[in-house]
Amino acid sequence: MRGLPSARFALGAALVCVPLVIALAGPLFAGEPGPRAASFTAGGGHWLGTDFVGRDVVRQVLLGGRSVVLVALSATALAYLVAVPLGLVCALTRRHWLEEVLMRPLDVLLAVPSLLMILLAAAAFPPGATGLALLVALVNIPDAARVVRASAAEAASRPAVEALRMQGESWWRTAVGHVGRSVARPLCADAGVRLTGALYLVATAAFLGIGVAPDAADWAVMVDRNRTGLFVQPWAVVVPALLVVALTTGCNLLVDAALGARRGTSRPGAARDVLASDQVKERRL
Amino acid sequence: MSGLGSWVARRLLLGCVQTVAVVLLVFGLTEALPGDAAVALAGDQPDPARIAALREAMELDRPAHERFADWAAGLPRGDLGHSLASGRPVSSYLSGAFGPSLLLAALTVVPLVPLGVGLGVLAARFEDRWVDRLVSAVTLGVYAVPEFALGVLLVTVFALRLDWLPPTAVGYGTDLLGHPAALVLPVLVLLARPVCSLSRLVRAGMIDALASPYVAQARRYGIPDARVRYAHALPNAVAPAAQQLARTVDWLLCGVIVVEALFVIPGLGTVLMDAVAERDVPVVQGLAVVFGVVTVVLNLGADLVAHRFAPRTEVAA
Repeated sequence: MRGLPSARFALGAALVCVPLVIALAGPLFAGEPGPRAASFTAGGGHWLGTDFVGRDVVRQVLLGGRSVVLVALSATALAYLVAVPLGLVCALTRRHWLEEVLMRPLDVLLAVPSLLMILLAAAAFPPGATGLALLVALVNIPDAARVVRASAAEAASRPAVEALRMQGESWWRTAVGHVGRSVARPLCADAGVRLTGALYLVATAAFLGIGVAPDAADWAVMVDRNRTGLFVQPWAVVVPALLVVALTTGCNLLVDAALGARRGTSRPGAARDVLASDQVKERRL
Repeated sequence: MSGLGSWVARRLLLGCVQTVAVVLLVFGLTEALPGDAAVALAGDQPDPARIAALREAMELDRPAHERFADWAAGLPRGDLGHSLASGRPVSSYLSGAFGPSLLLAALTVVPLVPLGVGLGVLAARFEDRWVDRLVSAVTLGVYAVPEFALGVLLVTVFALRLDWLPPTAVGYGTDLLGHPAALVLPVLVLLARPVCSLSRLVRAGMIDALASPYVAQARRYGIPDARVRYAHALPNAVAPAAQQLARTVDWLLCGVIVVEALFVIPGLGTVLMDAVAERDVPVVQGLAVVFGVVTVVLNLGADLVAHRFAPRTEVAA
């Protein structure tokens, strides 16, 4: 198994690099919109042809990654913003009923598939990009809170916390200063897995037309809208689809390599680690 | 045995609570609409006649608890209300679109187990060799890919470049079985992620099992290698994957939504997406209740089955 994680890390990094650079730096190089040409033409001064309304595909590709990446990143951050305090309070409180009141509703929410929740909410309130980030964060909260609670409960039962309590340290210092710090590492691992899930969910929702304008410059929207011209002008579909594949695949390989380096690869109990990290991902859909 | 009994009772209770919560959540959606629900739903066409029609169709004049009681009482009878767009009962949408979705799900589940377990066993058999590296890297990579991106690339290669398969199921209606070629790509796309998750679990479980003391003991007895692998290690490796398998069935329901949109298959997912686009709230609610309850029941079943296997998984780990 030696050598494999680093090879995987390199592959993941290489795969993620291209779409990430395009997503973040692309809008700087996109330039001004040119005049609209005919729909689905190839050539004619356009490297990758034109899209369904005659815009330059290269420019759309350069512009289209930012929304996917930023919405997924902010959804992950938002989910932790709620989940971390919630999980910490549940793990540290000595009032059992408070833990029940806070965690039980989340157990129930876990039962609803994420994409279904997003579609349900989108039917009532057609969301924008911010709305989509909020929705993806919302469906991530129950699971993230459970992970925080589980690792914080483990940290909170250590003798060090007992000593802090007996010394009369404030609840705040115990919770944030000690327990909060010791759950940071497992949370980083969880955040990587969750980001992969968020990327998947954001791209899928955008493909289904949730949270985006119908003619938005967004890789998933480009795949959806340019499908009608697939036979005439495949580049308008293939290039954004490949970028989405590279982004999600690379992200997953990278996260797995980082996790593997942290936990060592083939020790007994590997099945449980795979199960745990995959279950997090399963719930994303 | 009483421990098992009380565990089952608690799990059943959680299942019931989850079902009630799904129903409440789905109903609560229209109540959460800001201001007047009829005005909010009319959206782009706010003419008074349409708003009045919406208000009448949704019976917004009656108090919420009465409407909820009526709606919830209709659910067990299969009465899910009427569409705002067409006035047809929601159940007629469901019965019309049920076939293609069920067909897709069934065709995906059947090859899922042999493929997933086979790949996992293959990778574990050649642990650390190139076969394992290839299988592990590919399953890990494909696992995170959204169905729509994978599907569109497969269509480009197999329908556009090679011209082996039709690109969509347009024109076949609900008679999909009569056109098996149109089903190949959708099922492949639906299979991709579950196979990856299953094979990763089986591989890890198999490697654990092969490193365990009972396998070492069996080898010391001189039991043939193949028998140790497949009769002793494999059952214990599959046990943790069994629970996961049922869980993948629940996200298969959601994969179906994307695949139907991509390949233009007139199933439940297409009905749901059309209703979301038209903001036809009763249809969305009806479908959400059906999807949600199916998910709750599947997870309940999975947990019960996995609990039955639990002692064996503890042996393996």
